[in-house]
Amino acid sequence: MRYIFLALTLITLSFAKVVTIHVEGMTCPLCTMAVKKSLKKIDGVKKVKVRLNTKKATVYFDKNIDNQKFIKAIKEAGYSGKVIKK
Amino acid sequence: MKRREFIKTSALAIGAVTIVPNELFASKNSRRFKVIYDFDIKYDEKEFPAKLWNPLPYESDYQSVKYLRFNGNYDNYNINSDNSEDAKILYTSWKKSDKKKTLHVEMEIETSYREVPLKLIKKASKENLPIPQEIKKFLEPSSHIPTDGKIKEIAEKLTKNINDNFKKVQAIYDWVTKTTFRDPKVIGCGVGNAGKMVESGYFGGKCTDISSLFVALLRASGIPARDIFGIRLGKSKFSKALGKSDAKGFANISTWQHCRCEYYIAGAGWIPADPADITKLELVERLKYNDKRVKELRDRYINSWEMNWVGFNHGRDFILSPKPEQFPINMLGYPYAEVDGDVLNYYSPRAFSYKITSQEEK
Repeated sequence: MRYIFLALTLITLSFAKVVTIHVEGMTCPLCTMAVKKSLKKIDGVKKVKVRLNTKKATVYFDKNIDNQKFIKAIKEAGYSGKVIKK
Repeated sequence: MKRREFIKTSALAIGAVTIVPNELFASKNSRRFKVIYDFDIKYDEKEFPAKLWNPLPYESDYQSVKYLRFNGNYDNYNINSDNSEDAKILYTSWKKSDKKKTLHVEMEIETSYREVPLKLIKKASKENLPIPQEIKKFLEPSSHIPTDGKIKEIAEKLTKNINDNFKKVQAIYDWVTKTTFRDPKVIGCGVGNAGKMVESGYFGGKCTDISSLFVALLRASGIPARDIFGIRLGKSKFSKALGKSDAKGFANISTWQHCRCEYYIAGAGWIPADPADITKLELVERLKYNDKRVKELRDRYINSWEMNWVGFNHGRDFILSPKPEQFPINMLGYPYAEVDGDVLNYYSPRAFSYKITSQEEK
């Protein structure tokens, strides 16, 4: 069962769209959680990784989502973002 | 596969105490506290791994861990100071499973009142001795403690025409305690971003914010300084605002983390200070800056600490060991834990979850 779930997750992510965002203003590890939670609220977002040392958020999604939605979500969490890779 | 459970109990030998001149005067009124940490790591998935870094007290002649014991169902553990700030940490980790992840830590901590006599500080300050090489790193900026820009500007203004280092400390201490105020809306101890505070012009904050401002202004004035992260252990003899316990000396201290600071005057050594508690006294007791009790505490806390508190480390913006997925860490006064790169909310003992209690021994 675990392997089926893993395979499904991999298939889903392999077809997902990815965007990398530079996030400014994160000063502590908990800031990464605030950014992550805000991005995950967007409909269609499957997975989010945020790293404090690189100041990057990587968003995996499976719908057409305008970049401004990501930037807005980051702003709502109290930070600023700029898409650096689509 | 059923995971093997480990039950371990360990004890730490107490390290040698280094005596430096300022600490020779701080050996009266000792107090003992039995401190217990209980962890039951929570996450929003049924099966998860976990990693936990918990700060441990440093050794000095004003605070000492008499014993340390811990047990739990962790898969790995170590005690290390493998970081640039020499912060002592109990690290435990759990493999991915659906089992509870528990850790119980017990310590007996002995503390004694810490004060460096003003006479000694003033005398040493007049001599204006060189700063030892190993202390010079406490003049350096970090991302939360800038020493240029507006910080430098304010520091220069406050210390203009003052040559004596302790007089510079006094000028900065007076300004910080007068200008800042405790903002109860700030989460935890605050982030401690001195640069942001002066840029925004909003001087409300909590202990890490106010201590960091003090430290940044001192460093910008050429005086080594550092934040010291720790936790209050029990009743304050000065005010309930600064620590309390029940009639039997028991206290739930889960949210009592507190940041203080130290500055360095060559010939006098590290000197304790606590500007943030001045603002806490004002808020909790509803006192004004010029009130007699506020003045009394201001006079005390430029060169002493009441030791109903224990210090963990002076680390800012550093990397823990083993290396977490999120780094650098801003400070380590709270337990810190990660699940697959997700940081658990250390400001919320209930969500994390942990409980810290202290029993003062009579």
